[in-house]
This record gives sequence, C-alpha cells and structure tokens, in this order.
Amino acid sequence: MKAGKPAGVLGRRSVLKAGAAIGALQVASPFIIQARGEMPVKIGLVDPLTGVYAAIARNEVVGAELAVAEINRNAGMLGRPVELLVEDSANDVGTGVQKTRKLIDRDEVNVIIGDVNSGIAQAMAGVTSEKKVLHIVSGGHTDTVTGTGCSWNVFRVCNTTTMDSNAVADLLIEKFGKKWYFLTPDYAYGHSVQAALVKRLTAAGGTYQGDLIPIGTIEYSAYLIKAKAFGPNVLIDVMGSGDQVNSLKQFVQFGLNKEMQVSGTLFELESLRAVPDEARVGWWTMEWWWDQPNVPGVKEFNAAIKQRTGAAATARNWFGYASVYTAALVANQEKTLDAVKLAHALSGFKLPPEVALQPAAPAYRAGDHELMSTVFVGEAHPPQGDPDNMFKVHSLVAGEKVASPVEETGCKLQWPA
Amino acid sequence: MSAVSLPWPKQLSHRPLWVAVIWLALLAAPYWMPLAGGYTALGTRVLVFGLAAMSLNFLLGFTGVLSFGHAAYFGLGAYGTGLVLKFLAPSTPLALVLGMLLGGVAGALLGALIVRRRGVYFAMVTIAFGQVFYYIAFRWHSVTGGDDGLRGFHRQPVDLGFATIDIVNNTIAFYYFVLGCFAVAVGVMAFLLRSPFGRTLLAIRENERRARYLGIPIEQHIWLAFVVSCLFMALAGGLDALLNNFADPHEIHYSRSGDLVIMAVMGGMRSFWGPLLGAAIFVVLEDYVSSLTQNWMSFIGLLFVVVVLLFPRGFLGFLQQERKV
Repeated sequence: MKAGKPAGVLGRRSVLKAGAAIGALQVASPFIIQARGEMPVKIGLVDPLTGVYAAIARNEVVGAELAVAEINRNAGMLGRPVELLVEDSANDVGTGVQKTRKLIDRDEVNVIIGDVNSGIAQAMAGVTSEKKVLHIVSGGHTDTVTGTGCSWNVFRVCNTTTMDSNAVADLLIEKFGKKWYFLTPDYAYGHSVQAALVKRLTAAGGTYQGDLIPIGTIEYSAYLIKAKAFGPNVLIDVMGSGDQVNSLKQFVQFGLNKEMQVSGTLFELESLRAVPDEARVGWWTMEWWWDQPNVPGVKEFNAAIKQRTGAAATARNWFGYASVYTAALVANQEKTLDAVKLAHALSGFKLPPEVALQPAAPAYRAGDHELMSTVFVGEAHPPQGDPDNMFKVHSLVAGEKVASPVEETGCKLQWPA
Repeated sequence: MSAVSLPWPKQLSHRPLWVAVIWLALLAAPYWMPLAGGYTALGTRVLVFGLAAMSLNFLLGFTGVLSFGHAAYFGLGAYGTGLVLKFLAPSTPLALVLGMLLGGVAGALLGALIVRRRGVYFAMVTIAFGQVFYYIAFRWHSVTGGDDGLRGFHRQPVDLGFATIDIVNNTIAFYYFVLGCFAVAVGVMAFLLRSPFGRTLLAIRENERRARYLGIPIEQHIWLAFVVSCLFMALAGGLDALLNNFADPHEIHYSRSGDLVIMAVMGGMRSFWGPLLGAAIFVVLEDYVSSLTQNWMSFIGLLFVVVVLLFPRGFLGFLQQERKV
C-alpha cells in the first residue's frame, strides 16, 4: 500500500488506467450488429474446424456458405437475408456446447447446424432442445443421434452407421461371400459398426472373426497374419483416418489384396485424397458422389463448389448445403421461424431434387427425423483422368432399404407441450 | 464478506475497495455483460473456472507445490454430480455435495501418496494419477459414456423449503446459484488462509526446511492443503457439469490441468484474486477470439508467453507491484 494515501481512494493513475481499459473494451468487444431495417435470419454452424476432423468440417462450411449465397441471391428466408455464423467446436464436447449456447444466447440464431463429431452433436442437442431451437445434424453418424438419443428438434442429413453398414454388407455377401475378418478400432464407433455388420452377416448365415485394435496402432502385421490364417472372403477394415491408411498400406504390402477383398463403411473423398495410391483399394460407401451424370443439378453444384475449393464436391459439401437448405425451405413453406412448427413440418419433409442432388428425392423420416438418403456403394481406385475420380459407384441403395425400422432405433420423440 | 475488514497477510494484499469492486462486478455481471458483448452463460463459465483456478492456487500459490493433475478432481466432481443426478436422486444440492466429496476423498487418498514428493516429481505423480481418471472416464463406456461424455442428466430446481429457485430455465438464477457456491468456497479458502493453518502454509512455501526445524508437520499440512484444494476443485467441476448438463472426459485430461495452471499464473499466483482474473481473461479470450479465427489457441499461447516474460507475477501481481513503487 502506498504510504501517505488513505486506503480505498483511487489515484489519478488508477482513473487513467480505468479510462484506458474502458476505451479498449469499446474496441475489443465484439461488433454488435445494429438494426438495419432488414434483420437477417441467423443460422449458427458449429463444427470442429480445428483438430482431426478439420478437413471434412471445413467442407461442410463451404457447402453451407454456397447454400446461403444462393438463398440470398433468390428470395432469402421469409424474405429476409440469411446470415451464417460459424463457430469452431475444436472437436471438444465442452467447447461445442459452449459455442452452441453462445450462438443461441448472444447471437440469437434461429437454427443450429452441426457437428461432425457425433458426441458433440448429441451434447449440442441437449442445449438446442432445452432452448427450443431447430437443430440439423449435418455430419455426425452414430446411430443414437436419431436413435435412443433422438429429440423432437433434431434432424439429421448424413446416414446412420447402420445404414452405411447394411448397404455395404448386402453387396459383400452377394458378391464375395460370407466369411469375414474384422479389424475394428477399440472404441464406441468401431464397436457399433462391427455390431451392425455382424448382425447382417449372421442373419445371412455367415461366419466371422476379428480383432479389437487400439486407436493409433501403426504395426498391423500380427493382425494381418491372423486374418490370412482365417482365410476370409473379405477383410473388414473399420479403422479410421491415419490408422485406416496404415492398415490398408500394409494389407497391400502383404499381398493380401490378391487373396481377399478389403472393405469397410465410410472412405470419404477427403480421406481418399489424403492417402497414397496403394491405399486406394477396397469396397466402401459414399454418402454422396460428385459424378452423377444423369442427375440434374449435380454438375452445377460440383462446378460451384470447385470454384470455391478448387476440387470436386464431397459428401461433406453436400451435407452443409442440404442442412442450410432444409432450414430455409421449411421456414419459407411454413412462413415462420417457430422451432416446434418447423420441426412438425420437417417430419416427413421431402427434399426437392435441386437440393437432394441424387436419383431419388429423400425425406426426413417422421419417426426418428433421419434423412433417408441414397447410399453409394462402390470400389476405390487410384485417380483416373480427373484427380478426384477415385471411386466407382457399383450400386445405389435407397436409404429406407438399409435403415433400421423406427421401432428398432429406440427413438421415442417427446414433443414440447 | 466481513473477513476483508481484518488485516491480511501481504501476499493477499487486499484493499476493501478493490474487493468491493470485484464483488460488485460479479453481482452485477448478468446486467453489464450483455452490454459488453457477453452473455450470462459466459459469466457462469468465468465463475466456474475462476473457482477452479483459485482452488489450484490454494496449493500452487499459497503452499508452493505445483499439481499438474488437478483436472482429475475437477472431472471427479463433474462425473460425481452427473452420476448422482442420473442414477441416484434428482437433487442438485445433493449431487453437488456428493460430487465434491468424491473429489475430496480421491484427493485425500491420492494426496497421502503424493505429498512426500517435491518439485517436478510432485508434478509428475499428479499427472500420472490424473491420467488414470481420464482413461477410466474415456474407456468405461457403460457408466461414463466414454468419449461421448456423460449425458442424460439435468440440473434440478433448488428447493429451499419456503421457495424454489428455478435454475433449470432461468440462466440468471443459475448464475447467482453458482455465484453463491463460489462465494462460500472463496470465503472458506480466505478464512483458512488467514488462520494459523494458512500462515503455516505460507511458511512452508517460503522455507520448508526452516518450517520443519520449527517442528511443523510439513507433510500433514501439504496433505490438508491438497485435500482442501481438491474439494473446491471438485465443486467447480460439479458446477461445470450443471452448467452444461453433461460431463466431458476431456475436462479430466492433463491438458486441462495445464489450462488451469495457465489461468493461475496469468492472473497472478501470489495474489488471492489473481486466478479469477486469469480465468476471466482465458475464458473470455477463448470465447471471442475463437469466433474470429480458427487459430485462437495461438493467441492464448502468445498471451501466456508475454505474461511469463513481462509480468512474471501475473496481471494482478503486476498491478499490485506497480502500486507499491
């Protein structure tokens, strides 16, 4: 304490400092949007822009931005412009929840979209249902989002793990046989994919063996030797990102590709781009594909995305695009932003062909709010001609055919009074 | 707080006016924060992490031992609170108390094993024990929800007997509920630091060998400080679980312990209120900057480097030092 000065009295320096701090706060505090006559409709997008899912999350943002640009060029949403507010969940559940709260409490968004990570999406749903805000899960696949953890206000664009598993399982059983060996990452996602595939396989009278492998494993020889000894028709590789690349490379190096097929559920275009040619093998599912010559609108969408990213459109681009359009279309149809009314209208809502961009126009199933989107099953290969031509679609499977019936999903929607 | 009118040790260097300003700012936060571009939940988060950083600082700043695994007790409080609400009873106070006890008991048991270590060994052992809890939360999927976190519970209205406080839908009421918990915890910590026990902790921090020669049972004192710190850390964790209505395994990870140390050091670990300031800067900066750029962590890292290089006593320590010149 300074001598000769009574306690509790603010000095000149303190007053100056406080003044400077208040001044700085005016500059530092976020820009508060003033009323501009035409207040925009705000859509909040929460995705893991940093962390392991950054590449696919950014592509969802690009798709969403394209949709917003198109909507604003046309009639807008309820005649008002749309503003997209993007927040980074940093692939962390707590941050995702905090950002969702921020978008709803501070920015007063009308719709929330996100997240790529199912765990975050589900935790966000806790906030959006509490705050009664329409929530569209663009790209989190775990079944529970529209299953046991479903909510009246939550709708999902991407497929469930079960839909992808069933679509590829049917093709594998039909084409290659019923003896499979699993390389499964030892965590919730891996377990659920294996369970779905095994269910389909055993129902068809097939047999299997497999290993639960810790995430981050680099050396797969022990597992591949066991697989070779079992002699399966198909090696099911459920490993993710870097683990998927390592296991596939070693699969080819061991020459196992001459003895058996390799397959799994998702091998997204973003992942295909990131792996060397020798890992571009096997049978997989895509949830949307850019090369659909007979479907109107796809070429234009692909060109618009290419203009923004310099590469072909991916399923993630389409997820972002379809999510924003879902909100805008239903709001324009109902002429309201009331979440409960919009959610009721979205139950059974069919995406128009220019947004669906696939052979059949899918609808959000009323019982669990899952979009019954087409699954593209096919084979990965090194680029041919176009650098993004790395996947040959062999069959298109309608979502309804491979989705679990609503009563089996465990979803019980409870609508607010 | 009546305690502030009594003389404080120098390290706590408080003037009634500044303490009054802090409390006034906290009490009025739901009203002035929106004007500054904030929102109530952000204020609540500042309080939660402020309490966590102040609890850590009870050990770091006033006892002089650095724990790098305190996020574990934060997480135990969060999971304890969540599990009680989910499986045991829909009572917010009961959940908070049991969550706090879970963290406190774990701290008491593990603390007994840790207190004989010093310096970097102390820090390493705390990290190791912390990671044990992280992996339990991460892998025990059926109970903790694994990587997806613990969901399926909600904070419940607080029944006082004569009235019910709706902390479920009313975010401002919840802010004041958290502020009330914060005030009690901070009051107890301030009281303890002013007691002979607290003075002894300072003596241990300043010169452990000398304190030992004076006949002070050092290990017992550090153990007690560790337990108190874990108890309030668990309370902060429980409040965090109530704020988000879920418990997150990443909150137990040692990187979160690092965040808490950053908050304490940035604000000023030799001052009582420093960690609150550090937590406020950390949380608010994280919130604002991450909306502007994806590289927000670089800014926080840069700020931390600047603080360590230019203000080694933290922001509050720097302000206090300047006043003394």
